[in-house]
Amino acid sequence: MKRMIFAALAVLMTTAMYAESPQELLARVDAARYVPDLSFVLQMTSFEGDKQVDSNTLWGFVKGVGSENKSLIAFADPASVRGRKMLMDGNIVYLLFPKTTNPIRLSPLQILMGQASNGDVVRTGFSQDYDVASLTETTRNDVPCWLFSLTVKESRKDATYKKVQLWVEKDTLHIAYAEFSTGDRVLKQATYQDYRKALDKDIPFVMDIHDGENPQKHTVMTYVKLGRKTVAETVFRRDYLQSWTPEQPR
Amino acid sequence: MKRMLWLAFVALLALPRALWAWDAQAVLDVVPTAALVQQQPPSSPWMQAETTEVSGQAALSHSQTLAEGLSLSGTAWGLADSLPSGSPFETPPGKVDIKSRILELKLVWEVVPGMLIWDIGKKVIHPSSGFFRTPLNVISHGPLGNAANINGAAVGTWEEGWIGTDVTLLLGNFTISNFFSPRMLWSSQADSVLQFFSLPQNDFQNLTRLDVRLGNADMRFLGLVSSGGPGSSDPGVNLQLGAGVDTNIGDSITVRAEVSAANSQSRLTVADPLLATVSTDTVHWAPQALVGATWTNAQQLSLMAEYYYNGGGFAGSDYTQLIRYSQNRRSTYPNAPDLLDQFGTLSAGRHYGFVRISGKLDDTLTAAGWTQVNLQDLSGLTGILLTLTHDTWSLNGSLMNAWGTRDTEAGLSPLLWRIDLELTLFL
Repeated sequence: MKRMIFAALAVLMTTAMYAESPQELLARVDAARYVPDLSFVLQMTSFEGDKQVDSNTLWGFVKGVGSENKSLIAFADPASVRGRKMLMDGNIVYLLFPKTTNPIRLSPLQILMGQASNGDVVRTGFSQDYDVASLTETTRNDVPCWLFSLTVKESRKDATYKKVQLWVEKDTLHIAYAEFSTGDRVLKQATYQDYRKALDKDIPFVMDIHDGENPQKHTVMTYVKLGRKTVAETVFRRDYLQSWTPEQPR
Repeated sequence: MKRMLWLAFVALLALPRALWAWDAQAVLDVVPTAALVQQQPPSSPWMQAETTEVSGQAALSHSQTLAEGLSLSGTAWGLADSLPSGSPFETPPGKVDIKSRILELKLVWEVVPGMLIWDIGKKVIHPSSGFFRTPLNVISHGPLGNAANINGAAVGTWEEGWIGTDVTLLLGNFTISNFFSPRMLWSSQADSVLQFFSLPQNDFQNLTRLDVRLGNADMRFLGLVSSGGPGSSDPGVNLQLGAGVDTNIGDSITVRAEVSAANSQSRLTVADPLLATVSTDTVHWAPQALVGATWTNAQQLSLMAEYYYNGGGFAGSDYTQLIRYSQNRRSTYPNAPDLLDQFGTLSAGRHYGFVRISGKLDDTLTAAGWTQVNLQDLSGLTGILLTLTHDTWSLNGSLMNAWGTRDTEAGLSPLLWRIDLELTLFL
């Protein structure tokens, strides 16, 4: 009798486990770290091997998920770029130089900072932009992981990365590592580290992004401060940039 | 006057520290130049002279949050120039010529946060997306000071604003704004003080802008109504209209196009090229237009190309007359008006092209090369620029050369070549 009950329970558990589709699981991975109306201070430091080649401190806030997110970013440091303000609206980027009033429209490739591009800086979700092509179980550093193979959705064909491989820790749903590629070429490799509880979410405070072709080149993005700021949708307009007075998260 | 400026400075210091706080930039230019000059105009012959102009510019900016949604920001600028005219025979009496101005000083109030914004004070108005020409900058004070234009841009590092008030309404994909700038004239005596704050504003000006986001494209429309008003030498009402669009193509290309036209634009034309006499005529709704694109690859190599059409410029036989006039002006009638530069440098014709290529040589060093071409006579200006950038300073080295035969616009320019060594400190 006991054996029958265990067998029934096992079937039920298996059914429950697979009742969630891979796409739903990916959405849950996103939800575990998604903060609506996030404001931040972020340090981006680029290295070539061990040598630091560049460092920027950015203040800003972000609204929305995936490629539909919008963010306002201000350069606080170093002095040579201080006062620049940037609006990223999906794939559209505007940059306002200090003492000018007309934000310049830039292509996403014009605003690469080290190895990090627009999408890397503000990416808050994968399920909006990618379909799960396959989901398998694996380990990474002896930790059991889900391995998601993602392909870009038909409606997001203009995305920089057409495919993503995502290693997610099974127990915590923390993203541990990701590879971003176009076709068969790996363009970026990202490691997500230093998960901390902040704003009721598990947020990786450090992301280390390596160039796919030259892994010696990498950029470390570190959250210095996080907060929440609810703002009107119209704030993410080109015409608002010159009126925006950047503030640190509260 | 000095005491007033110091008091204003101390008052600003006394305000609570803003998040953005103070920001300063200083630029030192050393500019060896070769130009054609006359020692004693108009009788002496033109001769080539090499000279070195040294200029220092500094700007101090401050942005201050006064309360939630209320901020004050401003920029003061100063220039000391050893050779403002560019001629070695015209050194300023005090060794250096000093100018200073408040470029911008405005109070911004977000009446409805993110939606309704009211500015008052001195504000720069720059709606154009053009790089080497800016047809939509329908109210502009032009280049500031005498700083070398080392990268081919129409506008230098700093611009001077207009005193007025601006209301901006952001609604969905629309932005509507209205800027009103009053007429402000004063005596030459008062100008000795007021020049530090503003240039005189000859007309009442009202600029209305509508910006629309349509898919990936930004479209803008503007209308400027200006008038000297009662008692002015030009009391008539003038109208200028403009429209522009910019958008992205994929990850690597941005494109832009804009056009503006005025109901009435007066210009000087050649009456007799041999005697170098001129007359004034008026053109109506002559368009200025610009189309351009910028392509960038993943290695940050960037290529920009722009075409500019100047409807108020000269073409065909009028252009031939203008060149003949300018040749005679140089050889025989140096006091005759300069018609070639009446719309700005390299703008007397109708068709102009601009190409600029720039790229990173390593993490701190970038290189750029650019050329502006008069497409009617294939003369122009070419520059190369090397920039070394560090966290708190940058060093630019540039060379600019005017090229063209003696029957072309750039060939008739007094400027022959110019080297610029520029050190910028970010404080």
